[in-house]
Amino acid sequence: MSEHSLRYIDNDSFFTRIDALSKLIWVILVILTTFQLTSNLSRVVMLAVVVFVMIILARVPLKTIWQAMPIILIMGTLLFFVHLFTAPSTQIINVLGFSVGKEGFDKGLQYFLRITIMVLASFILIWTTDIRDLMVGLVSIGMPYRYAFTVFMALRFLPVVQQEVDAVKAAHAIRGRASSSPIRHRIRLWQRYMFTVIVNGLRKAENTALAIESRGFGAFPDRTFVKEFHWTKTGIILLILFIVFAIWLIFWEKNLPIL
Amino acid sequence: MSTPVILVINIVILVVLGLVVKTVKSDPTAKGGFNFNYTTSDLVIMAVLGALAGVINTWMGNVWYAANTVSPIYGAALQGTFMWAYILAYFLVRKSGSMLIIGIIEASVEALLGNQAGLSTLGWGISQGIGAEVVMAFCMYTKFGWLALGLAGAGASQFGTVWSFILYGWTSLTDYLIAAPINLISGFIFSGLLGYFLGTMIAKTGLLRATRRGAE
Repeated sequence: MSEHSLRYIDNDSFFTRIDALSKLIWVILVILTTFQLTSNLSRVVMLAVVVFVMIILARVPLKTIWQAMPIILIMGTLLFFVHLFTAPSTQIINVLGFSVGKEGFDKGLQYFLRITIMVLASFILIWTTDIRDLMVGLVSIGMPYRYAFTVFMALRFLPVVQQEVDAVKAAHAIRGRASSSPIRHRIRLWQRYMFTVIVNGLRKAENTALAIESRGFGAFPDRTFVKEFHWTKTGIILLILFIVFAIWLIFWEKNLPIL
Repeated sequence: MSTPVILVINIVILVVLGLVVKTVKSDPTAKGGFNFNYTTSDLVIMAVLGALAGVINTWMGNVWYAANTVSPIYGAALQGTFMWAYILAYFLVRKSGSMLIIGIIEASVEALLGNQAGLSTLGWGISQGIGAEVVMAFCMYTKFGWLALGLAGAGASQFGTVWSFILYGWTSLTDYLIAAPINLISGFIFSGLLGYFLGTMIAKTGLLRATRRGAE
């Protein structure tokens, strides 16, 4: 699973120190701006900015980026090739010695860049933000804390689910499950795994609900947190600078010849 | 093909599904109406299901992305495999908004696990959740049978393609319209019926508290 390359890295970088909400708003702004852009050159500029944030401001280790690269690039690359070969083109251009349709190439590049920018920005948020801080931030701007807690609990349950799957697999193996079997038998086995894991998960959910209710969870409209949320100056400056950059980029590309 | 056109097509489909749901017999035990009064138990159940579905869907997503990139037709057969947890959560919790909430939770888990679409995955969680909610809102959340839940799964599956369209930039309206019935059937079977049957099997275990299906 890819969770090893996609986890919070507490490296005390400039971007890590920014509050979680500013970073979330930044990601949303990046996505919204990317959808507004109409030329590939401006998308490349946006990608360069995102890469700058990732390497210089967030100091994400190159090894981590390398490990996440298949996730980042696979969807964009697929979209690129599909649009390259399916979009109707009237002109032929030469790219690295290959003759390809100009419109198909442009469209493929458009979707490749769009997806890559969005995924990279999302991953920067994951790499630089403790999810607990993000949830506290969302509660501070009005999200009911019980719902924020639900998302947080789902993430907390992930390793439990993995352990449960391993335990069910081991239980089946002890009872003499064949190590290699026809595909139909394997599907039936997975059905059994799935049902057992769901039932065990729900049993844990009932117990967990009882435990947290008995501690007074949900009794009051507000709750306190160990770490309170505070907007950071650097976060607000980042947002202002990015908004100025995005407006400039949108106006700048309007004066460009069609790329 | 533009986003407003796709939206209109999908709203019409949801309205038709909703009108069909209205003709289905209501559950005599259902209170119905818009009830957002979630208990802690409801929220934890949705968290667990969201985590499970997030893990499974992240894996399924890899297959679906490859198929869907080429054309909506290829991805349509698998489109319905992502929403079984929405239907199961609704079956267990029986409150309005539960399908949208679990959609957001499940999509958040997917995004954090390394879904190839990053935070854009939330777009599917929200659109699919809204699709299922709109269908069930037509019957004021009073129906929990296989047909009603199948149609909610179909609605979720179809409405999710709005976000797919925005992300993928499909150009052929013909392909999109050919894919629509495949999406609906896929959602009906893999989300609606699967969610319903999982729910009834869980109810038989007697696991759930008296407030829910297991005690009936």
